[in-house]
Amino acid sequence: MTAQRTLDVSHLPDHSISSEAPLWWGQMLLAAIEGTMFAILIAMYFYYRLSLDVWPPRPTELPPVLLPTIVLVLLIVSCLGSYRASEAAKGDDRGGMSRWLLFNLGFGLAAMLARGFEWAALPFTWAADIHGSLVWTILALHTLDVAADLIFTAVLLVLLRQGYHGPRQRLGVHVDSVVWYFLVLIWIPLYVVIYWGPRLVRAPR
Amino acid sequence: MIPLVETSRELDEEQERRTLERAWRHPGGLVGWCSYTTHQAIGMRYIVTAFVFLLAGGVEALLMRLQLARPENGFLGPDRYNQIFTTHGSTMMFLFAVPMMEGMGIYLVPLMLGTRNVAFPRLNAFGYWMYLIGGLFLYWGVFTNTAPDVGWFAYPPLSGPQFGIGKRVDFWAQMITFTEISALCVATELIATILKMRAPGMSLNRIPLFCWAMLVQSFMVIFAMPAVMLASNIFLLTDRTVGTHFTNPAEGGDPLLYQHVFWFFGHPEVYIIFIPALGMVSSIVDTHTRRAIFGYPAMVLSMAATGFIGFGLWVHHMFATGLPQIGEAYFTAASMMIAITSGVQIFCWLATMWSGRIRMTAAMHFVFGFVAIFVLGGLTGVMLASIPIDLQVHDTFFVVAHFHYVLIGGALFPLFGAFHHWFPKFTGRMIGETAGKATFWLLFLGFNLTFFPMHILGLKGMTRRIYTYQPEMGWGPANLLASIGAFVILCGGLLFLSNVIRSRRHGAPAGADPWASGTLEWAADSPPANYNFVYLPVVPGRYPLWTDPKQRGLVTGVRADRREVLVTTIMDAAPHHRYPLPGPSIWPLLTAAGVSAGLIWAVYQFSGYYPAIALGTAGLIGWFWPRTPAGDER
Repeated sequence: MTAQRTLDVSHLPDHSISSEAPLWWGQMLLAAIEGTMFAILIAMYFYYRLSLDVWPPRPTELPPVLLPTIVLVLLIVSCLGSYRASEAAKGDDRGGMSRWLLFNLGFGLAAMLARGFEWAALPFTWAADIHGSLVWTILALHTLDVAADLIFTAVLLVLLRQGYHGPRQRLGVHVDSVVWYFLVLIWIPLYVVIYWGPRLVRAPR
Repeated sequence: MIPLVETSRELDEEQERRTLERAWRHPGGLVGWCSYTTHQAIGMRYIVTAFVFLLAGGVEALLMRLQLARPENGFLGPDRYNQIFTTHGSTMMFLFAVPMMEGMGIYLVPLMLGTRNVAFPRLNAFGYWMYLIGGLFLYWGVFTNTAPDVGWFAYPPLSGPQFGIGKRVDFWAQMITFTEISALCVATELIATILKMRAPGMSLNRIPLFCWAMLVQSFMVIFAMPAVMLASNIFLLTDRTVGTHFTNPAEGGDPLLYQHVFWFFGHPEVYIIFIPALGMVSSIVDTHTRRAIFGYPAMVLSMAATGFIGFGLWVHHMFATGLPQIGEAYFTAASMMIAITSGVQIFCWLATMWSGRIRMTAAMHFVFGFVAIFVLGGLTGVMLASIPIDLQVHDTFFVVAHFHYVLIGGALFPLFGAFHHWFPKFTGRMIGETAGKATFWLLFLGFNLTFFPMHILGLKGMTRRIYTYQPEMGWGPANLLASIGAFVILCGGLLFLSNVIRSRRHGAPAGADPWASGTLEWAADSPPANYNFVYLPVVPGRYPLWTDPKQRGLVTGVRADRREVLVTTIMDAAPHHRYPLPGPSIWPLLTAAGVSAGLIWAVYQFSGYYPAIALGTAGLIGWFWPRTPAGDER
């Protein structure tokens, strides 16, 4: 074989805890999929709402707003844990990763506990009317996503505690934070739509 | 520009190859076979499985044509006929067309990009298993008299709790869940692969058009599939199993919204099938005219524009539902706009052929057939976009003729062209050219014989989805002609199958690049090794194999002793970092099996979703759990 023109890449790192990682893109696309789903749910909500004169159809059955607000605050605070954990992952700060993931997990679980109480106290079921079906569906799908991410966070935490601090786990911590931001961000419009929308705009069309 | 260095030291290719062979070797045994994660293996599984479903859908089509061959035929009863046309449509859309295109993408994209595998190999395997189980699930229904019978779009209230009795609709709806999960897995990994794992130097303006097509298609999957998940799961399954009110007008629901949500997916779905076919046509045309494709930027922009416009057309499926006319007018305009982007591409191909030196291979025959049939389908499409015509021929065989012209002409002919074009790459042997051309003529003649008369039948008022008709209607002769055509298509299909089986064993050895093609898949062995390339290529232009060999280069320093790839930047494909990919694993299959058990249970009881979630989570934890002791990740 004669001399070859080559490009040597052996000096490049074998991981990158950043938006250059394919996994980061995979998680962004997951967020795009879930985001599309929630956007369609919001569109559906208003489609149904516009076709009825009174909303909710049984006006006495407004979803209470106090517990959902607490859920939202807890979720927003928990983002601090995600952010600090992902910074710790980039800096390979092992203690920081564990600590802040625990913070994230704690507030996330507290938010889900509050949501559990909220759910138990909802004055209507999914089968009451179309408003009930919508609120239950939105709550269920968001809770499912949040629960999945909390389990993922818990698994990461267990791995870190067992001494797995490799690039895979650090990248995992980083992309976990990206997904968590998405889940919290998407909840803000959903929260406004399902809890404040019927309160702020109550007059018949 | 990617800076290349002239090395004086010789590369030990044999040693590198041996090391790669070890790192990329498939595990043995049945469990090993179920653990494969290489893109060639998974892609080929998709292609073969989708082909089997194509045969199943074809048999259903033949049964329908037998039933309609003469008036007042008693071959199939109305109930059986309903099940068969619904299964035919659902099979062709969800179990054949989309997975087949995905399979071609999974197989070819990493090769064309000059990398070793897709970005998420285990997700790839998981997606395949979900697809396979979902397809078998639907056919379990077919053989137990539980096949869906409400059309491939399952409109409520016919498919709702009140009228869609039994479990037929639920089988359909849950099959959608399976295939959409699979399509979303593939879309995610293809986008990540195309954006982040291209060979150094393959900047955005050098990506092969087939990869652009798969990129656009994958983004369409990402934004379209959530809609059908909502349609099938929320509108149908929860209304049917736990009594939500999405389609129940008595409690504020609205069956019409189902149509909006379904077609917000359903129309892009057509382009999800069609856009990869455009990429295939481009690959065939540039190779077999031996020149670079004419108007590359126009081609890319047209495909992307088709992707966007494709989301603004859905209401043209609903012109007969009494929506406000101002809204309908917008959708008419958008529907006609598609003709612009499609026209640009057709003219680019014609310009390429005009100025190239055409080699009349079997693949090229299919391209010509595609242009002829697709243009005809496009013309009836423009007609149907006009509301008065649409209302006149709504739900008639004119519509059936139209969409078979665009789907068979626009997707199946390019696909068969692609089979003939890439067969040497898939198998290492040439496919019989004479038999290939004969296949083309049988399919082309049979197709027109079957579907052209349907235009006339539709104009004469024959509606879709009727299991028989009276002799006085005068539809008999055209229907008989269509039925004869269907059997000519069958002959074409059988000839293709025998050609494949014969060529696989006895075809002439192909070598790496039998067509003197320009794109990177032809730089790999035929069939490709599990790692595709001994050294990853450096790309100097749009057609790397047609550039001066002195300008080409090879990447060194990617570890060969584990499954490692090179990650590059999005715009310029400059090397950024190396990235180890996960190896073979049985967990994708176990996860898919767990989720599937729950989903199938959920057809009967809503609580089945709980085990689906629990087993899926357990599977994912097993999937991600590190195999090496702590602190030894390298």
